[in-house]
Amino acid sequence: MAEKFDHLEEHLEKFVENIRQLGIIVSDFQPSSQAGLNQKLNFIVTGLQDIDKCRQQLHDIMVPLEVFEYIDQGRNPQLYTKECLERALAKNEQVKGKIDTMKKFKSLLIQELSKVFPEDMAKYRSIRGEDHPPS
Amino acid sequence: MKVNNARYRGSAGAEGTMENFTALFGAQADPPPPPTALGFGPGKPPPPPPPPPGGGPGTAPPPPAATAPPGADKSAAGCGPFYLMRELPGNTELTGSTNLITHYNLEHAYNKFCGKKVKEKLSNFLPDLPGMIDLPGSHDNSSLRSLIEKPPILGGSFNPITGTMLAGFRLHTGPLPEQCRLMHIQPPKKKNKHKHKQSRTQDPVPPETPSDSDHKKKKKKKEEDPERKRKKKEKKKKKNRHSPDHPGVGSSQASSSSSLR
Repeated sequence: MAEKFDHLEEHLEKFVENIRQLGIIVSDFQPSSQAGLNQKLNFIVTGLQDIDKCRQQLHDIMVPLEVFEYIDQGRNPQLYTKECLERALAKNEQVKGKIDTMKKFKSLLIQELSKVFPEDMAKYRSIRGEDHPPS
Repeated sequence: MKVNNARYRGSAGAEGTMENFTALFGAQADPPPPPTALGFGPGKPPPPPPPPPGGGPGTAPPPPAATAPPGADKSAAGCGPFYLMRELPGNTELTGSTNLITHYNLEHAYNKFCGKKVKEKLSNFLPDLPGMIDLPGSHDNSSLRSLIEKPPILGGSFNPITGTMLAGFRLHTGPLPEQCRLMHIQPPKKKNKHKHKQSRTQDPVPPETPSDSDHKKKKKKKEEDPERKRKKKEKKKKKNRHSPDHPGVGSSQASSSSSLR
């Protein structure tokens, strides 16, 4: 799995470096650098071909659109991961709190109902398969 | 929670309990509105008929099992007041009561991203990427969102540029105007105490394209060096004059200053 990403990363790094060098050649162009420019242009074409080949290996990778928003705003995309994890934990704690409260409520309700309607509650427990009232 | 009805506690019989139960939940004169009105959907059965005024045990016989609502516990159908009871969710089901981060082995990721401060800027994530990448993409129309919304028109494949096509890339000699030199603009970086070699410096850079700024820096350094030497020599002489008894001091300073260079 990681190899696929390493492969793509390697190709992208090479591509970026080629673009950078092309920029340097173009920024102060000399007649003698025409051959170098032509070579760099073809390197960029082969670089694009290599990146395009990686596409087949990564067709099953899903990227959340929100990550692109972070990148477009010039923000670190790791912040998205961080916020996702924090949100997940907060929600997890919230739901756990609700479940615990509902469990407490259920046991208290059964306890109180057993006092008032002992026979009905005994029946209820026999249906539910609970022998003893929950404490 | 407490049921404030101490009268019925203790030794009430079956008849009594049902009476109490109906007194509590079924003593309304009018039946409650149908469940559909409350938005529970059409699958629910109509509410049990109100008990007769006299009350009594088993006054409201439950509807037959065939009328049990979907999802209701079929074994419970026909079990007195519990005919609406549903099956409990299985205990094996994954819920929010378990710590889902540990369940999915994400503690490492959590500690990595939430344990320490993550730097805000994109350039901290991609430090080797040239250009001003911290600016919003909408500024120079380079956003990834625009790439998704308006994907570029592509042919079938990438073909190498042949000789005749390369003729279109013949450029005029001379430097680019300043406003077009976007590639050279880098965000100001904080100086690190520990110097580390970057892989980019090892890469071959075309020798015919040294930038103007580099030239100036080198010239400045060359111009400054002889002046510094002169000043240092003068300092040495002054010190030697002031302390003729300790010639070693001056020489040691000179050696230290030369080593610092």
